[in-house]
Amino acid sequence: MSVKHVLTTCPYCGCGCNFFLQVVDNKLVGIVPDKTDEIGQGKLCIKGYNAHVFVQHPDRLTHPLIREGSQMRKATWDGALDKIVSEIKRIVAKHGPDSVAVFASAKCTNEENYLMQKLARAAIGTNNIDHCARLCHASTVAGLVYSFGSGAMTNSIPEFENANCLLVTGSNTLETHPMIGARMLHAIYSGAKAIVVDPRETPLSRVAHMSLHQKPGTDIAWINGIARVIIEENLYDKEFVETKTAQFEGFKKVVSSYTPEKVEEISGIPKDKLIEAARLYANSDRAMIAYAMGITQHSNGTETVKSLANLALLTGHIGKESTGVNPLRGQNNVQGACDAGSLPNFYPGYQGVAAAEMKAKFEKAWGRTLSDKVGLPMTVALQLAAEGKLKALISFGENPMMSDADITHVEEAFKHLEFFAAADIFHTETTKFADVLLPAACYAEKDGTFTNTDRKVRRVRKAVDAPGEAWPDWKIACELGKRFGAPGFDFKSPAEIMDEFASVAPIYAGISFDRLEKEVLTWPCTAKDQPGSRILHVGGFKIGRGQFALSQHAPPAEETSEEYPLILSTGRNLFQYHTGTMTRKSPKLEREAPEPYVEINSGDAKALGISEGDRVRVTTRRGSIAPMARVTERISKGVLFIPFHYAEAAANMLTNPALDATAKIPEYKVCAAKVEKA
Amino acid sequence: MAFDDYKADYLLVMRAEHGSVAPAFISKGEEIGDVRFDIPYQLITVLSRIYPQIPKGKIAVVVRKCDELALNELFKRGIIDGKRIFKIGLACDENIIDKCRCPDPVPSKVDIGEPKKGVAEDATVTRLRKMSPDERLKFWVRQFRKCNKCFGCTITCPVCFCENQCVLGERTLVAEKSIPPGLAFHLVRSFHMADKCIECGECERACPAEIPLLTFRKMVHADMKELYGFTPGDEKTVSPLLTTLEGEPLEDEKNVC
Repeated sequence: MSVKHVLTTCPYCGCGCNFFLQVVDNKLVGIVPDKTDEIGQGKLCIKGYNAHVFVQHPDRLTHPLIREGSQMRKATWDGALDKIVSEIKRIVAKHGPDSVAVFASAKCTNEENYLMQKLARAAIGTNNIDHCARLCHASTVAGLVYSFGSGAMTNSIPEFENANCLLVTGSNTLETHPMIGARMLHAIYSGAKAIVVDPRETPLSRVAHMSLHQKPGTDIAWINGIARVIIEENLYDKEFVETKTAQFEGFKKVVSSYTPEKVEEISGIPKDKLIEAARLYANSDRAMIAYAMGITQHSNGTETVKSLANLALLTGHIGKESTGVNPLRGQNNVQGACDAGSLPNFYPGYQGVAAAEMKAKFEKAWGRTLSDKVGLPMTVALQLAAEGKLKALISFGENPMMSDADITHVEEAFKHLEFFAAADIFHTETTKFADVLLPAACYAEKDGTFTNTDRKVRRVRKAVDAPGEAWPDWKIACELGKRFGAPGFDFKSPAEIMDEFASVAPIYAGISFDRLEKEVLTWPCTAKDQPGSRILHVGGFKIGRGQFALSQHAPPAEETSEEYPLILSTGRNLFQYHTGTMTRKSPKLEREAPEPYVEINSGDAKALGISEGDRVRVTTRRGSIAPMARVTERISKGVLFIPFHYAEAAANMLTNPALDATAKIPEYKVCAAKVEKA
Repeated sequence: MAFDDYKADYLLVMRAEHGSVAPAFISKGEEIGDVRFDIPYQLITVLSRIYPQIPKGKIAVVVRKCDELALNELFKRGIIDGKRIFKIGLACDENIIDKCRCPDPVPSKVDIGEPKKGVAEDATVTRLRKMSPDERLKFWVRQFRKCNKCFGCTITCPVCFCENQCVLGERTLVAEKSIPPGLAFHLVRSFHMADKCIECGECERACPAEIPLLTFRKMVHADMKELYGFTPGDEKTVSPLLTTLEGEPLEDEKNVC
């Protein structure tokens, strides 16, 4: 009888809590939180406690499958891999390498993402590599790189506990990053003042010092308004602004027109409250901004991120303990997937593909001629596929048929692809379009690392065997790379892959599996003898000066009209995760949130004759779904909220695919909708 | 620490692994490793997940006093067979005694550690007892509104063993829509644990919201003792909440009604 407690990292959100999988003879029987883990501290959220449940579900994919007409037939690994390579080679020969795209996955490990981008770049010859970071924090990466030179959290998770001011906006932290939310609760109950700005009341806003509700799509207005108050009242850090920042005068001029009165008119936030919030943030000596999708998922998401960064530059609230700007990354490894280079414009470690010296460096490292053309973001790639311009796609674990905006249009993309290969752990709404479908191992069945939202590189350890013939994605990527005839895909273990990643990406240079056995490492970790930096921008910015951005409020891409009078916003809830592939197969999670629903303000509901529990029809210019109504005071008048977890009433049938000009992230948070009794 | 000392087939301890401290269920013949006693894992909970998968053999487990009591609750309900368990007594250190406000920290037989004196009172209990019912309710509402429904208090509890029949899954008692859950969530659980809870404090340690759940338990305990003269953790005494009323004397009834 073999009983093991295998230390690993949670596969759900970006908190990156560690726990032990309890295994008896290859069967998962439970989860024990790691009491010595500095993130989880021996605690987990409900998803963490249920993270073993889907792993050995009977619906797991167990054999490679190849399409024959409308049927999928069982195939050998050799048969499936050869088919993928011959199809891609045929399409590359005819249309060139840029007619192919690879989607990596923020659920996969760093090592796997490293190989997936290497597969696209060195084996296929295209920079068309992207993943779901495009849909969550693409605008953060673009925005914060502009402002500070780095697009990650500037502080570590434990620091939230000691902040004395928390400005939380567009983040339902207790539901979506529960263990970060717990730290915030600790701070609030210890006397910290929290300002939560969100169109909905959230579990966090209900215990916060101030809970402000902006009209969706008006963030730059209220943020500039706060900046104006801080400047007008001389509450800004003049020395910091003078010595550490650039473009202050221009910025001052831009925000000068955002008077509290004007901001109230645009955003609906009362002017007195705005002034109070501005004073509170500026006057606190340990002020942390935390934000998530409510800021990033807009057609001006990049500018909105920059405007938040402006507040930190203005007050000098950055580069210190419990003081900074913190984008809360969504997926367990979305930070790591970006770090590893699963982005169309960056090699591993944020080294630009358009820079000649970087191209030369990677050509030397990988022994292949590389493309210097910036690749296609995922959202644009799918649009081009729908137009027939992108011909083939290999997707590792992505589920665009649930997660991308305007699913009807996404479906056109998949129908038009000449060839589509997918690797996944379950059948999904997307895999049904696959010509070849490969069974992948999940987190509990392989070794590797995830990088959590505060840049800690955390080990993932194999606890049980993968079902049937499923392989870890790193092995799939290796076998594909070899079959394309590319060198450098001959890895025997994820540890070896990490060594290569560390050798080409300076921010990971000091990281190795050996070290991770003994210590906690945080990137940037540039040498083997240092643990990395928990706080970024201490003493100044690597780019010289922090850049103020001249961000102006602009209306969302789609405004309400007589026909569509309500604003629809989407997001997630505590119990389900993203497209539900894993959580909806976990009975205790499904029990808590089993049905698609739309939150509607009680006043709006009354006017429309809608009661709690009614089946309603929600319609936008793109489509229509029929969720159940949840009538509540906790959402602003005129706003609807639908979680995007439910295939039977998929929120993304409705959302607007309008993209941010820089980051190409869709505007999930605002579109015009109507609702009626079904 | 060696298997021969305990004549066991399995050993359940804590040990250093990967820079962390891990629960470890070691089969005879496997290396025992660097055993640690400073991190308070709830090994009885760890055991109860594994136990149904292990049909035979003797298991030696490190137990604190509260763990012994938890085992008694499991033995008398037939969930774990007492004959298969060998207890290795661990006397808690002052740090842990303090955190648990534990009045009774010495196991029946001390194999590891030095016996230390218990703590006489829980300051929060004392403070709450002095409050008016209104103030007390306000205190608990302020605490329970932090609850994020992780179910950690039930999942990590050594004497919470209803698994898939948990009353907290009953929609009639606990509506699914709201976070935080209503007070019913905590009151239903409180009642359900009233005759089992052995005050190990694991619920409080597992609570991400830092709700003083052990204090809540201690207050229910005092009531159980006062009302029924009953304290959980005894290997033989059946809970007064589980007795039938058939044999109860009726003489006083006419006087009451």
